[in-house]
Amino acid sequence: MALITENTRKEVTDIVYNFFADECEVDIKDIHADTNIINDIDGDSLMFLELIEIFKKKYTLDIELKTIGKYSVKHPVQTIGQLIDMQLLIIEHENKLLELDL
Amino acid sequence: MSQKKLAFVFPPFASDYPDDPFINLTGFDDCFRKFLSRAAEFADPDLIQFSLSSNNFLDDELKTQYISYIQACSLVSWFREKGVIPAYSSGYSMGIYAALYQSEVISFPDGLLLIRQAFKEIKKVTGKKEFGMCSIIGLNLDDLEQLIRKEKLNLKLAIQNSVCSFSISGASEDILRLTESAQKEGALSTRVLNVSVPYHCDFLKDTAGGFREFVNQIQFRSPKMPIVSLVDQDILLEEQSLKDEIVRNLFTSLNWYKTQLYLQELGINRFVECGSGKGIVKIARFIEGDAVFYTANSFTISLDVK
Repeated sequence: MALITENTRKEVTDIVYNFFADECEVDIKDIHADTNIINDIDGDSLMFLELIEIFKKKYTLDIELKTIGKYSVKHPVQTIGQLIDMQLLIIEHENKLLELDL
Repeated sequence: MSQKKLAFVFPPFASDYPDDPFINLTGFDDCFRKFLSRAAEFADPDLIQFSLSSNNFLDDELKTQYISYIQACSLVSWFREKGVIPAYSSGYSMGIYAALYQSEVISFPDGLLLIRQAFKEIKKVTGKKEFGMCSIIGLNLDDLEQLIRKEKLNLKLAIQNSVCSFSISGASEDILRLTESAQKEGALSTRVLNVSVPYHCDFLKDTAGGFREFVNQIQFRSPKMPIVSLVDQDILLEEQSLKDEIVRNLFTSLNWYKTQLYLQELGINRFVECGSGKGIVKIARFIEGDAVFYTANSFTISLDVK
């Protein structure tokens, strides 16, 4: 279980903003916490998956994709802010993510 | 400029069209219109009405296949004029016909005839039964097979795209049930594809006889460059093996994941998706290796061959 610091949050936020600016070809200044990933910047679920892979490598995470999938069913992500929060939970709890709902 | 480390990949058919997919390819529209006009003459006069913005035929499965083939062949011609020749090519799903054209195995009109006949043979086999396909991302193959068994669904693996990305074929009803169950099981993305045919699985094995008979009437030439099979990753260099490939392509499971890894082993480090979309480029995000995947647009920018 990793400790989430302000530094981690900033790092994750920077990666997510830069990733979507690049993938969706939008100005990073137009991305905000409440930006809707699908409706506002034409993102898709494959991008979400790619971000997970980026964070898995960066933080050497032990988590199965289907664990994230099961968590997402109960906690759907629509905005950039929600996505960042979920990535932080993934980094913090890894495969124990689903235990948060118990 | 022959590109030793370059492969062209031909996509199947589009499910939507992005705005201006060929914006960086100067003169491409004229090239495409020439091919479109020939296709209208040989295959279907309606094709001449095609427009990306107002009449894109996305509701017509056969016409959509024609359009993808015409776009791919136009790209081959456009790149050829710029001197860009890949070392290998590969046809993803129904993209196999464009790969044959790229390697100068068949003529442009014969590709159209093959597409039409394949569709006809498929419809003969499926009749009025409702079939479909879906994509499932985020489960591994064991999970997926277990789910299909548990739910007693009559579904088959059609294409493997990566360790966690698959296309599945079968009866429409079972396809819908699988997408629902897969979501509950933790799939991160499930999508019912806009097709009415269970491509690349043994539901279509009875297409073999009729389609082979037709294929044997078409003139095949030796390929000018090798084509890599998505069925078993063989390098196809003979006319007969290419004929066999397009027959079995209809009813045999494909593996794009293994195919592109094999191409990387052969030294390929750049892939160009020769179509209007970026489905193959997107799939590549989950494939290991250092190869770069381009759309026609982004590749043109990288080469500066506008």
